[in-house]
Amino acid sequence: MSEPLFHKITPRAIKVWQWGNSIGNLFYFMIPAGYALFFGLEQFHFWMVLFLTIMFLIIWILSIVLMPYLLWKNWRYAVDEKEIDLKRGVIVKTRTLIPLSRVQHVDTRQGPLLRWYGLSSVTISTAATTHEIPALDTVIADRVRRQISTYARLAEEDV
Amino acid sequence: MSDFERQHPVAAVSKAFSLIRGNLLTILIFLFVGARSESFPFLWWIGGGFGFLLVMGFLNWLRFLYKIEDGMLHIKSGIFVRKNIYLTKDRIQVIDVSSGIIQRSFGLVRLDIQTAGSSSRQAALEAITREKAYEINWILREQSEQTTEDLLSSDSTSDIVDDSRMIKVPNKELLIAASTSGSFGIALSIIATVFSQLEPLISESELFEYFFGLLPSQTDTILILTVIAIFVLFAWLISFFSTLLTYGNFQLIIKKKEIVISRGIFEKKRITIPYNRIQAIHVTEGIIRQPLGYASIHLESAGYGDDKGTGSIVLFPLIKHENILVLLEEIIPDYEKKLEGLKPPSRSLRRYLLRSALPVTVISSFLYWFMQLNIFIWIFPLASVWWGWLKYRDAAIGWGDDILLMRSRRLSKSTAYIKKKRVQDATVSQSPFQKWRNLCSVQIFVASGDQGKTFTVRDIELNDGMKLLNQVRKNGKSSVILESDYSNKILLPGWP
Repeated sequence: MSEPLFHKITPRAIKVWQWGNSIGNLFYFMIPAGYALFFGLEQFHFWMVLFLTIMFLIIWILSIVLMPYLLWKNWRYAVDEKEIDLKRGVIVKTRTLIPLSRVQHVDTRQGPLLRWYGLSSVTISTAATTHEIPALDTVIADRVRRQISTYARLAEEDV
Repeated sequence: MSDFERQHPVAAVSKAFSLIRGNLLTILIFLFVGARSESFPFLWWIGGGFGFLLVMGFLNWLRFLYKIEDGMLHIKSGIFVRKNIYLTKDRIQVIDVSSGIIQRSFGLVRLDIQTAGSSSRQAALEAITREKAYEINWILREQSEQTTEDLLSSDSTSDIVDDSRMIKVPNKELLIAASTSGSFGIALSIIATVFSQLEPLISESELFEYFFGLLPSQTDTILILTVIAIFVLFAWLISFFSTLLTYGNFQLIIKKKEIVISRGIFEKKRITIPYNRIQAIHVTEGIIRQPLGYASIHLESAGYGDDKGTGSIVLFPLIKHENILVLLEEIIPDYEKKLEGLKPPSRSLRRYLLRSALPVTVISSFLYWFMQLNIFIWIFPLASVWWGWLKYRDAAIGWGDDILLMRSRRLSKSTAYIKKKRVQDATVSQSPFQKWRNLCSVQIFVASGDQGKTFTVRDIELNDGMKLLNQVRKNGKSSVILESDYSNKILLPGWP
């Protein structure tokens, strides 16, 4: 069985995720802050707060420096006349196969961050699940969306 | 027939009751919280809540209008937000007639109309006369072969149309089903609520003292065990009777294009499932039922949602192992049932054992050393090892020309038959530990009600997982990939 032709997503996705994580993951620091508010900063609790802060600082930095790159490196997608094939995951590697005859609708979406970098994500919905190909170039995203909806119409069967 | 009509006023009461049923959990939580507040008498909570629901039901009835025009049913509903629903012949999948206690005492029926979309539950006429139901059914289902007489005579089952067969559940099996049903959870929460209400009364009374004076020795452990035993007994009684009432008079009628299930003693329910809506069939062997040799059969259907929005329907409440395949052959002759399958390799047994035993052991040892609990707590880790072994033994995948089989166990063992063309999405995933051992987990998603339903088998050989994924591929359907001397090969589904 020949493997389908897999595409990578655009490297600009890394930038988007870096910005997104650097702001979004700030909430990690709420945990040591909450701890400090609740227990104060006396003796043992001071070290506890320090430990938590350093731990979350490391996680936060990793989520900016390392994770977006690994995420991008592991993302692959392929679309042909019969199926959509998605490979992703940094720690847990996942591969998903969606028969095109099961696709109900395809959308492209664009948040403010994605728009700034000229990117869109493609959302594929079936009757049971929803999958997203994140951060494609807007032109490519539109092409993928058109491609999927054309193939899906051709593969139309009853539910 | 150009004017809008209201339903029979009884609809207001019946709507109030269906609101109670739909929000039972919320109401229970409210009662639980309500019992804590001293200032507000308990009866006020109940009375006020019930009155509120009655008013809601009345308003619903007042604002619910329907009319039949140009061969379609037009419904206006909603108290504040007005909703217009137009139902035409070509969009309607199923018309169900049922009657609860309230409807039957007034000689009325309830009409459920299901359409292809997921907003199906909106179109229900709570209480209308039989004649009206007849008329609507006639207008909306003119060309259908399901005759209206057949539909309306839901109480009498004597009129079997020639090509349809009827299967009943014997009373003995029904009793077994009721006594082994695992719906303890709901029953326990009901009891806990009632108990929280009665507790102040009981603990003040002499009865309480007397009752515990009867117990042999008043150590704390025995007291706790007794209370637990009483709770479980009550929970069992409640689940026994609720199962009996729900599945009493169970009938399965197999027709050319659809399956009709009718069940219920007081509250009659009738469900029609066209064959082309069936997404998957799974046989569940509960932890109590399996040793007794019994299982229940469920069906996943698209478009048909119950009140919770899941498309899971009980196709048969209880059946002996040796009869499963015979019954399935009756109901779904087009499904291939005996398949060759693959089980997880022996090296994944360790993962199964660890996964179920590790959390239980950690919690038990914590309880043992820090909370000074009884030594009997170590029964739980032992049981969890056994449970892990059971999960390993029951996990398997299999496939045929157009069908997949997924067998796995959470608490109860489930064997699912899924047509390949019904698979919405197939996923293979691999954690770092699985990668190290060259294993993977597979998930198959099918449509079911408003949401979907997932079937998962864990820790199978990576190659086998990829083979299963390729089965879902359209041009990868070469079915026999199983070499004859393959050591993981077994025969599914494993019933006689």
